[in-house]
Amino acid sequence: MSDHESPAHPHDLPRQRHGLIGRRLPLVDAWRKAAGQATYCDDIRLPNELVGKILRSPHAHARIVSIDTSAAEAMPGVHAVLVGRDAPIPFGVLPVSQDETALAVDKVLYVGEGVAAVAADDEATALEALARIRVEYEPLRAFLAMEDSLEEVPEDLRLHARTVKGTNIHKQVEQCFGPVDEAFAGARWSKRQVFKMIGVTHAFTEPIVCLAWYNADERLTLWSAQQVPHYVQRALAKVMEMPMHRVRVIRPTVGGGFGGKSDPFPHEMVAALLSRKCKRPVRVLFDREEVFYNNHGRHPSRIEVALAIDDDHRISALDVDALIDGGAWGSFGVVTTYYNGVLANGPYKLPAFRYRGRRVYSNKPPCGAMRGHGAVNTRYAYEVLLDEACRELGEDPCEFRIRNALDPHSKTINEFRITTSGIRQCVEAARDASGWRDKWGKLPEGRGIGIAGGFYISGSALPIHWDGIPQSTVHLKVDIDGGVTIHSLAAEIGQGSDTMLAQIVADVLGLPLHYCRVFSEDTDTATLDLGSYSSRVTFMAGNAARKAAEAVRQRLVEAAADLTGYPAEFFVMEDEQVVNATMPEIRVPWLDALKRAMRDVGALQASGSYQSPPMGGKHKGAAAGLSPTYSFQAFVVELSVDPLTCKPVIHDVWAAHDCGRALNPLAVEAQIEGSVHMGLGQVLCESFDYNGAAVLNPNLLDYRTLSPTETPRIHPILVETIDPEGPYGAKECGEGPLLPILPAVANALYDAVGVRFYDLPITADRVFRALSRKRRAEARS
Amino acid sequence: MILPTFELHQPRTLDELIATARGLRDAGEAFDYMAGGTDVLPNYKNRLNAKPHVVSLALCEGLDEVRADRIGARATIADIARDPVLAEHWPGLVEAARQVSSPPLRNLGTLGGNLLLDTRCFYFNQSGFWRDAKGNCLKAEGDVCLVVPQEEICYATYSGDMAPMVLVLDATLHLAGPDGERAVRARDFWAFDGITRFHKRPEELLTAVSFPDAARGLRTGYRKLRVRDTIEYPVMGVAMGLEAAGGKVARLELAVTGSEAVPLYYGDLGLGGRTIDAGLGEELDRKLVRTVNAYRNVPFPPSYRKAMAGVFARDLLATLAR
Repeated sequence: MSDHESPAHPHDLPRQRHGLIGRRLPLVDAWRKAAGQATYCDDIRLPNELVGKILRSPHAHARIVSIDTSAAEAMPGVHAVLVGRDAPIPFGVLPVSQDETALAVDKVLYVGEGVAAVAADDEATALEALARIRVEYEPLRAFLAMEDSLEEVPEDLRLHARTVKGTNIHKQVEQCFGPVDEAFAGARWSKRQVFKMIGVTHAFTEPIVCLAWYNADERLTLWSAQQVPHYVQRALAKVMEMPMHRVRVIRPTVGGGFGGKSDPFPHEMVAALLSRKCKRPVRVLFDREEVFYNNHGRHPSRIEVALAIDDDHRISALDVDALIDGGAWGSFGVVTTYYNGVLANGPYKLPAFRYRGRRVYSNKPPCGAMRGHGAVNTRYAYEVLLDEACRELGEDPCEFRIRNALDPHSKTINEFRITTSGIRQCVEAARDASGWRDKWGKLPEGRGIGIAGGFYISGSALPIHWDGIPQSTVHLKVDIDGGVTIHSLAAEIGQGSDTMLAQIVADVLGLPLHYCRVFSEDTDTATLDLGSYSSRVTFMAGNAARKAAEAVRQRLVEAAADLTGYPAEFFVMEDEQVVNATMPEIRVPWLDALKRAMRDVGALQASGSYQSPPMGGKHKGAAAGLSPTYSFQAFVVELSVDPLTCKPVIHDVWAAHDCGRALNPLAVEAQIEGSVHMGLGQVLCESFDYNGAAVLNPNLLDYRTLSPTETPRIHPILVETIDPEGPYGAKECGEGPLLPILPAVANALYDAVGVRFYDLPITADRVFRALSRKRRAEARS
Repeated sequence: MILPTFELHQPRTLDELIATARGLRDAGEAFDYMAGGTDVLPNYKNRLNAKPHVVSLALCEGLDEVRADRIGARATIADIARDPVLAEHWPGLVEAARQVSSPPLRNLGTLGGNLLLDTRCFYFNQSGFWRDAKGNCLKAEGDVCLVVPQEEICYATYSGDMAPMVLVLDATLHLAGPDGERAVRARDFWAFDGITRFHKRPEELLTAVSFPDAARGLRTGYRKLRVRDTIEYPVMGVAMGLEAAGGKVARLELAVTGSEAVPLYYGDLGLGGRTIDAGLGEELDRKLVRTVNAYRNVPFPPSYRKAMAGVFARDLLATLAR
């Protein structure tokens, strides 16, 4: 590509009089990444580095009788050996589930769990050292099927000290709002159905990797591919028994997270502990198989859903019973347990809701948060049943969804505070763009169209650690060079948060983007942000950035007032100048105003922060799913079924998403496209398979994410409801758009071939079998 | 995962290569030939039957000609996929090449490598850690097959895309080795189970594949079952050659891959001389489904894979008769 054919580098975009919000901007780190100049964790090299490797358990559930590391320790080139007893302090992302350790201490809980670790001169030496460690195990009964974990068992068969009533249930929640039984008794239409979803995992490109250096100052620095540097810092301080200020976490460029890098991890503890033992930097880089053992992906689920519709074709009750398989550890699981129920309280009005959620421990790699956390599988079940109701009641699924749409500025029965709601506009937009009225029920046999909606949090209103500290703080420094330095711990993981911060600050200050430089990597310098999870960053860090920038702007307009003699209120900032809005010829260049503002005080500094306002009910679990605002979406899918293989072939997706306001439409569309691609993977082919206790497909050849050849035409439709509390009205766009794609595919398949699919994934062989069964039944009748 | 240590030999000519092979054989040193490495190296990384020596074809002159009657074993899959002369003569062969894996791997992988592809299985294509935890299978130094539990036969699945069309065309495989050259009919080459796989001594090198004039009357086609439309190995593939005369089957040649431990040639399944119509398609479908086997060791259940063999054969018959 020649220079003049390239899209403009963001730095070279013409300065805009009317600001940077709503403009299609390439991400500020896009050029760096495309040129191969972005520094990922494994690009960082320190002098005297060692290779850290972890010995893993071949047993699903076993007591560790003894570990003999003497032969490994005696090897030349081996500098440190670590076992579980060296660091028995438990940790976990949630304060209520501190159930992980750096390495297994007394028992191993899954095939692939770390048992011992070494730091050595090179990988071959490290692997040889691992081979010389002798571990004696006493195997225990393995809990592999979810149902087995519901049993009451003796203490030595419980996977963790804290479980529900002597079982291996990790968390059980029950909620009931409104007259559920009455609604079912008086329903015009109702159905109860069991849905089963196989687990899926993130399949990010960059494998898990970290580099730890416990140096001569007795300070620990950890470079790690992470979404939540702050939680990692906390966990390291706890496990290492160090004050938090001596622990520094640096997040280099991250090659994809999707929720799979949002826990503090055992390998991070291992690298840090090994480094403290040998006083040299230690790198732990996973191969892809180890990444699968680290998992933390979406929970395998068995979800029973009952839906009631009344005579007016309104949803009158929803009853959800979710059993989810958490694997060996807690991780975010308590939250997941709630989300599988409570996030069904939108995007439709729901007057009665009952939920039972159970998350079990099992002897498998841990499950955790993954894009659309906790909401995806129940959403699938709910939207498929809605489609079934519409078919049987003879109503158009779009019109049905519009009638039942959650109103703006309302409250759900479980006391979610709804501010903006664009569900109605989303359904209408997707319906009209797709040509729904000419297609639904009218396409030839084998081709079909379907719709589904979605609803997701835009940040969790209550933080994990409830200590009254704002959830996000952004700090700005403006010095003599005129550049604006932005500090925030909001983790740029490819989603564009650095761009978002720069865009907001530059917009407030009337500057082109290149004035801003974002430092969001380092806990030593950044101001606290809780990290990139629960779709919180644009809303929370964006608001904080805007406040900080407005404080700087105030100083600049005051300086301009000083220099010109006009009142500060008259001035606006645009085009690298401070301009008197009433007399545009009166203007002060940015650098002149800045120098004036810096007189006597030096560099300008300002902070802005965000904390969610109080909200929500008082019932147990009321905080789960509470968000300062919610995103809404409705997708229409058109597909056909391959006449030979019965493979579902997706042709078009019209994806309408209410993002409040698209700060950067290019970035929002990319999030929608990525979500569609990822969600299609789960509905069509992804499957975290087991053979007994062994992960059957721990590699990216056999774990099948969607390939580019299956990616359909995606038509993103941005619905802007301008949220009163969002930065410039913005809400989330990174997770919600994954939700509707799964049920929209299933509903379109029904339109195409008249068969319902209740289990995921919907692979070609299952469609073939269902159609053969249907044809046989038709032939008989 | 890192590669195990091996000595790499990179001869520049076929003579040098054969001399290297002779030397290693006579010294009792085990070795593998390697062309593109797309099959050998992943298996080596998994410590699957890795050898102390690898003789690379990368720098060796020749062996890469692409002609209608003869293709060098070192011709890449991409060379075959884009060759206009082959597309004219053996469209089914080109069709198969175009469905091999993905563009980057087609650029590396060769015809020889694809034909001699090692068999694949859930229980075999795993790391040393995985196999140790689960128990090693018959093909990976264990005692029992984990697909069909017994100690005699390996049921790993042959997964090359090029072999069935080579069988349909009744091609000849040309081998060279320390003891001289020989040619073997492709239909006689593959045999045995998932470990032994074919009649070839380890030191023999597949140098070329040649196609007989007699194959020219055939119209050819290939259909491949896979989970996604790229990257994947076939989990059922059907190749057909058809010569029709007066609406009847003059010649029908059928072969499958992705079913058992070797690619299988089925001839015309007794349908020669029959009138080509929908009824014949259905009969062919039924016959092939009854004939092919499949085991639960690659994606998709065996029943579906077998059903697809029939569906593909029926579709090919209809397409090639048109």
